[in-house]
Amino acid sequence: MISVSNLSYAFKIGKKGKENIIPVLHDVNLQVAEGEIVAVVGRSGSGKSTLLNLISGFIQSEVGSITINGTDVSKFSESKWAEFRLNHLGFIFQSFQLIPSMSAFENVELPLVLKGVSVTERKKKAEEMLKRVGLESFQHHYPGELSGGQQQRVSIARALILNPPLILADEPTGSLDSENEKQLLSFVKELNEKYGITFLMITHDHEVASIAHRKVEIIDGYLREEKTLHEVQR
Amino acid sequence: MKFKDKHRFVRSNMKKNRTRVWMTILASTIGCAFLIMLASIGFAIHKTAVNDVMSFRMVNEIQVVKENGRMTEKDVKKLEQVKGVKTVTRKKYVPANQLSLGEYHNFADVMSAHVPSEEKAGFELEKGRMPKAKNEIVVGYHFAEELRKDLPEGLSEEETQKKMKEFSYKGDLLNETLKYHLTTAGPENKAEGPVKTVDVKIVGIGKKPTREWARDNSVFITEELYHEVISVLRKQDPKIISDNELKSYGEVKAFTATAEDVKEVTDRIEKLEYMTYSIIKELKEMNVYFTLFKAGLIFIGAIAVLIASIGIFNTMTMAVTERSQDIGIMKAIGATPKTIKRIFLLESAYIGLWGVGLGTILAYITSYGVNFVLPIIIEQFVNEKPPEGFMLSYIPWSLTLIAVTICMGVTLLSGWRPAAKATTVDVLKALRRDV
Ligand SMILES: Nc1ncnc2c1ncn2[C@@H]1O[C@H](COP(=O)(O)OP(=O)(O)OP(=O)(O)O)[C@@H](O)[C@H]1O
Ligand SMILES: [Mg+2]
Repeated sequence: MISVSNLSYAFKIGKKGKENIIPVLHDVNLQVAEGEIVAVVGRSGSGKSTLLNLISGFIQSEVGSITINGTDVSKFSESKWAEFRLNHLGFIFQSFQLIPSMSAFENVELPLVLKGVSVTERKKKAEEMLKRVGLESFQHHYPGELSGGQQQRVSIARALILNPPLILADEPTGSLDSENEKQLLSFVKELNEKYGITFLMITHDHEVASIAHRKVEIIDGYLREEKTLHEVQR
Repeated sequence: MKFKDKHRFVRSNMKKNRTRVWMTILASTIGCAFLIMLASIGFAIHKTAVNDVMSFRMVNEIQVVKENGRMTEKDVKKLEQVKGVKTVTRKKYVPANQLSLGEYHNFADVMSAHVPSEEKAGFELEKGRMPKAKNEIVVGYHFAEELRKDLPEGLSEEETQKKMKEFSYKGDLLNETLKYHLTTAGPENKAEGPVKTVDVKIVGIGKKPTREWARDNSVFITEELYHEVISVLRKQDPKIISDNELKSYGEVKAFTATAEDVKEVTDRIEKLEYMTYSIIKELKEMNVYFTLFKAGLIFIGAIAVLIASIGIFNTMTMAVTERSQDIGIMKAIGATPKTIKRIFLLESAYIGLWGVGLGTILAYITSYGVNFVLPIIIEQFVNEKPPEGFMLSYIPWSLTLIAVTICMGVTLLSGWRPAAKATTVDVLKALRRDV
């Protein structure tokens, strides 16, 4: 599903001419098979988010290549990336990233709107999706009127609405309490088992055991793979 | 993303900042209205000037004269052969002008005309018929008004103006018999001794001229009467009209079927070494001058639009800044830069459209108001009636079109940069909420 090879990345900061180059990722190689749940772990500042952002196309590297779902995306233009994200990727963020001026329903249907789906179909799909995350009675609530857990469920509904084969998640449970965290993880597991959706998620160690098939660790920009207990059991 | 959804998006965004959006629209409205109003003065002056020229000539008429000598029957025949010429009217002016009915007198433009060609050229009667017998005449529409009793001497100009109407002939002139004075004497040089007169009967009255301020005080007499009048006049003063003049025409005009033909036909006639005067020729020179004048006014008006557009630029820049987080989220989910750009361009277009629409309406209202109120004010203060058909502001379709184009163009131009800026919103920065 994802194939990252020889990927390196460095941030450039400061003014032109006297830029500071901060290397973050070094020669990263990573394979994620279809239907896998892969956890990315590592210390703060090790480069986990950077890797995920590269795979999401939010930033682009000149070194190395990324292939997603058989498509080489490393040289994509901005608009191609946008199209690709809309059609192939779902996102779950630590801070939910819902549009505050839109109701839960409108947030969920946003990808459908961008895709140009008709109003009636949108309504049907978005309602169905909200029902699946257990928020059918919160359709008209705005993000500010929802709890953190509920907001994250809205964002999951939005990520799932176009049936992406791959979901990228950067600390999806980071802003949730343990109750909501458990719920979310089991939902991820369910989605993976029922629909074969592939997950690449940045998590904390203790979560990994419960759902991830595999864990990769980033240490100071270098990727190291470790087999999980879960996988050994399989 | 469908247009309908973009529209919905933009609408809800505009609603969120209603006051700001309306203020921006107001600025555009005023800018647009100012542009139209200012230019409309130029258009009004131009139109007045054109009407002025047109009131003396018909659009499809070409007056023809010879470089040396006078137009004769031969020339008329030649003109009638020219391709595109519908008819050729020819008139002979009669130096005797006075007609009277009892104590009413009129010094009219008496002429003998060729009736069939006049009819073909568009001469129409209000009532009655064309002359058949020798002493039958047709008079112009304003003949009756100009037929009036002698005014008492020593009146001031103002009183004269007032009395003129009062002293005019009020009845119906059709079938009235008038006395035609066979003398070249006019109101200034009174005839000495008794003057021979001939009875003429009005059998037809011409239609009111289409131009409001044109006055038709002409009298058409028959060819036979013309010769009789001339022979009497020559007896009084043999030098009054030469043989040469007698055989030639005082005024020859070629008429084309439509105004569009005038240019071509003019060229053909000029090839035959005649000189021509047509409205098209006169207007052409005038148009160059007025086009420059109007362009200047539009340019000044456009500056107002430009200032208003700064408002649009600010509003849109603020809208983009305020919404950069939303933009970032949308981009992360999969909105292309093109979609983002279109949404913001659409928003500035809506502001522009509202501004242009309201501005145009405001301009029309102001224009009508000014044209209605200004003559009243002038009358109040100067105590003089403005000329009939007076206009200070005239908004033709073309002006509206020009204004709309300028306003929309400037609007889109000023919305362009903010929209382009929206596409460059950095996704990561937006997601991190530090934009
Ligand atoms: N926009 C940026 N400009 C410059 N340096 C950056 C930028 N973003 C991240 N970095 C640097 O890159 C390194 C990796 O950051 P990254 O966000 O990938 O870490 P992380 O592993 O996700 O950490 P955490 O667990 O705290 O989220 C850090 O040292 C950070 O300082
Ligand atoms: Mg991170």
